[in-house]
Amino acid sequence: MTTATTPVTPDYRRTMRRASTNPVIKLLKRIPAFITIIVLVLLTAYPLFWMVINSLKGKADFLDNPSYALPETWVWENYARAWEVGNLATTITNSIIVTIPSLILIVILGTAAGFALEVMVFKGKNAILLFVLAGIMIPGQMIILPLFTTFFSIGLVGSLTPLIIIYTAGGLPLTTFMMATYFRAIPREVFEASTLDGASILRSFFSVGFPMVRNAVFTVAIVQFFLIWNDLLIALIFAGQRKLNTIQVGLLNFSGEYGAIDYGPLFAAIVITVGGILVLYLFLNQRIMKGLAAGAVKG
Amino acid sequence: MNSVLGDKKAIAILLGPALLVYTLITMVPVLWSFGLTFFKGNPLQGFEFNGIVNYQRIFTDSYVHDAFWFTIKYAIITSIGQIILGYGLALLYMFVLKKSSTLVRTLVFFPVVLPTVAISLLYQKLFQSAPNDGLINELLVNVGLGSVDWLGAGDTAFIVIVIMDIWRSMGFYGVLLFSGLLDIPEDIIESARIDGARFWSLLRHIILPMSLPILFASIIFSLNGTVKVFDSVFALTAGGPGNQTTPLTLYMYRTAFQFSDYGYGSTIALLLTIICLVITLMLFRSSRRDNTL
Amino acid sequence: MAGVIGVSALALAGCAGGGGGASAPDALTFLKNSENTTTEPILDALADGECAAEQKVLPLEVSSVPQAELDAQVQLLASQNGLPAMFSAGGNPAEGAKLVEQGVILDLDEALTDLGVRDKISEGAVSTIEKLYGGKFSFLPFQYNIEGIFYNKALFAENGWEEPQTWTELTDLAAEVKAAGYTPFAASGEQGWPLTRLVSGYTFRSLGADALQKVADGDAKLTDPEYVEAAQAIADLGAEGYFGENVTSLDYDAATNEFLTGNAAMIYMGSWLLGNINSDANAIGAENVGFMPFPAVEGGAGDIGEYPANVGLPATFGSKTYTPEVADWLGCIAENYGNAAAEQGQITGFISDVEVEQNEVTATISDTIATSTDSVLWFEALFPAKASSVSSTNAALLVTGQLSAEDFMALVQDAIDNP
Repeated sequence: MTTATTPVTPDYRRTMRRASTNPVIKLLKRIPAFITIIVLVLLTAYPLFWMVINSLKGKADFLDNPSYALPETWVWENYARAWEVGNLATTITNSIIVTIPSLILIVILGTAAGFALEVMVFKGKNAILLFVLAGIMIPGQMIILPLFTTFFSIGLVGSLTPLIIIYTAGGLPLTTFMMATYFRAIPREVFEASTLDGASILRSFFSVGFPMVRNAVFTVAIVQFFLIWNDLLIALIFAGQRKLNTIQVGLLNFSGEYGAIDYGPLFAAIVITVGGILVLYLFLNQRIMKGLAAGAVKG
Repeated sequence: MNSVLGDKKAIAILLGPALLVYTLITMVPVLWSFGLTFFKGNPLQGFEFNGIVNYQRIFTDSYVHDAFWFTIKYAIITSIGQIILGYGLALLYMFVLKKSSTLVRTLVFFPVVLPTVAISLLYQKLFQSAPNDGLINELLVNVGLGSVDWLGAGDTAFIVIVIMDIWRSMGFYGVLLFSGLLDIPEDIIESARIDGARFWSLLRHIILPMSLPILFASIIFSLNGTVKVFDSVFALTAGGPGNQTTPLTLYMYRTAFQFSDYGYGSTIALLLTIICLVITLMLFRSSRRDNTL
Repeated sequence: MAGVIGVSALALAGCAGGGGGASAPDALTFLKNSENTTTEPILDALADGECAAEQKVLPLEVSSVPQAELDAQVQLLASQNGLPAMFSAGGNPAEGAKLVEQGVILDLDEALTDLGVRDKISEGAVSTIEKLYGGKFSFLPFQYNIEGIFYNKALFAENGWEEPQTWTELTDLAAEVKAAGYTPFAASGEQGWPLTRLVSGYTFRSLGADALQKVADGDAKLTDPEYVEAAQAIADLGAEGYFGENVTSLDYDAATNEFLTGNAAMIYMGSWLLGNINSDANAIGAENVGFMPFPAVEGGAGDIGEYPANVGLPATFGSKTYTPEVADWLGCIAENYGNAAAEQGQITGFISDVEVEQNEVTATISDTIATSTDSVLWFEALFPAKASSVSSTNAALLVTGQLSAEDFMALVQDAIDNP
């Protein structure tokens, strides 16, 4: 792989340096970037603002007035109602109970499998990789009926275990594939070196390989977290009973029998759950970004 | 070296558990579903053998045709949007914002965090035309154009869905592709810069090639995701009006769970899987040829 | 409120036990649709009051699943012999009829007669249920609704409008309403069924009460000219703009709100709307809401006295889990539900002998229900699930002219023939 370099004459270089150190031009160059960033932030942060003001509106207010207007009266009861009707205490707990074990399993099993499929050498490696890749292509609805029947006949319903199993299995193909992709970028010599020091390949996976793809692990974990957290269909079918509901299923409680929707409390419920995640994400992000920055510096 | 990398026991320990879980929970049910395509019926009333009737039906079912074209149209347009905007964002984070971009990155990622219910309500209100005009229609009216019943016709509803899904996931792909960009060694970029390379040639000759693996992986992921779109369409239009915004997943879901024909539903699911397979294989082939994967 | 928001995990697991037969329930497990907020409070009240004894033996345990998933969930449970003692089903009557066919539902006629409480169910409700679910009394009318046109009395009085008795009078009235600057009919195109209710209303009036039964039985087709005429009549309403602008994306809340804030003069709806009418969200006030039947069609075979009726998404008892303790509960519910509901202001298919204060519109509806001897159903009532779905998703297109009446009926008929 070659990097293209443009042949430069000494004069050209001097001109370039002069242009790039002119402070006014520097400032002007930054303006398009500023504008882009501001537009971006508005586009994506506006919904949060929109949801908060709409969570404080009464139903008539929401229906009669434009939705971007501030509430006529601030209906704080919406939040209390949200907590109750949305069954938030239970659903938040359930979502956490389901997501964390699944994530841990996905990361460990997926990274290990990705490592084996990319770094290790054995016959049929590519076939298995394709086999795993096929998993990304399966529409979730296809496996519902067989799984439901199976889980029911072995008596596994009535707990959150089916969800954890399904989410883990569902997250493995993508994770394995992504980790294999990241492992490809690591030179083999790194592992050779560690095994020469007497460590078994398993040791070098855990102590060398895993940390090297920390970057990727965090990214994949975030990806999977949201796929699991926002899933509705599987949670609905396999954890339909009230005590097992996850957050997404709980949000459906605000709909009425003939199509009516309890908007205020619905938005309040969303603000509560999303707000929590956002805070968590912001907090973790600091630590993650430190990790990413450290991992980015490669020897 | 090869004996270490070929250590059978280690391979079994590393690969085994994942493969086991995956095969049992995903692949076996798929085969079961595949078996169902030769039957007609539902769990309550039982299944009766049908031969290839379901397959013949797929070719003549006009609902399947409509859903098929909708799925393809949607998948291509949305994926292109997601990847291009995501890549643009990643480049923005990398070159303009650099390491101090955490807040912006988090905010742009924010739509990914929102439940589908919230986003669909937001967009319904944004593009509302009855009884009052939403923000978009108000803008249109102010500019002199008339208000549009966005969700009232298939074409305009399609536009809303695409915008909604691209808006929602561009932050996601931004983060994903950004992590791939971070892996490009700083020194290569620095030395190219010192040699006087401008941004666009930097992009073409260094960044793009070096991020090709993650780009390909993202494209595969994106296409597989958009072909299987379900939640967002279901929440925004429920496939309406009529069946003008019904993708294959929704039609399959309805057939199996609402119309109680699991056999035909599984057949549609098979069609969907084949589409994904074809797309993925095509991409895989071309990436292997370029030696990037 | 008795703290009975528990779930039937134990019961379900017990029922599952290796896929064998269902074991006797140790709680009155009730699986309902989450959107139903009216049944549980009354059952709770009974558990605290008249049915306290039964509650002791078999405590009530309610769990809920969103409506859209209910039929599928019940079907899956039924196939695994894991149905709870009491469950809601039949949101789509054709699916409910399947459950009856498979024998998983109790024969209520027999059971209630054995318990001596058969006369506690109103005959009108029983006849509606039998029509819907394959001729058997297999679901309990925890809700009983009739449908008609609610109208804004103040608006009518102001403009000198009278209750229309015939279809022509209705269309003339609509024209006047539109000229006066109001929306004649509020209807939710997004839901679809409020529009197809009008089609079936017209059909029953012009062709008689058995018009749609004939279609379900295959003795007539929706594409026959006299049926298309009904669709055309409603399409014409849309063409004249009587539904207001952009009806396609108008959702249920927005539509009812249009009526309750006085922007629309009339709304075709069922008596469940009383909840909204009697609440604070009603801007025009409950005294200003009138109720009238769907008008007659000149020269038609139907009668203006035939009200469309439904039982909402009803609940029933499973046949495999019907133990003597469950029977006691059923008896207690049948005896007392009517009164408990009346006290909470609900109209159900259970007979109540309690005198309750009612405002005019509520009284009109209660009386109509009490005195009606026959009822008609609704457009999709007897259709298989696919036709029902096709009908409600395409209704708005009929009304905005994107689908012609012939094409609309052809689509639905095709879905009936090829479920």
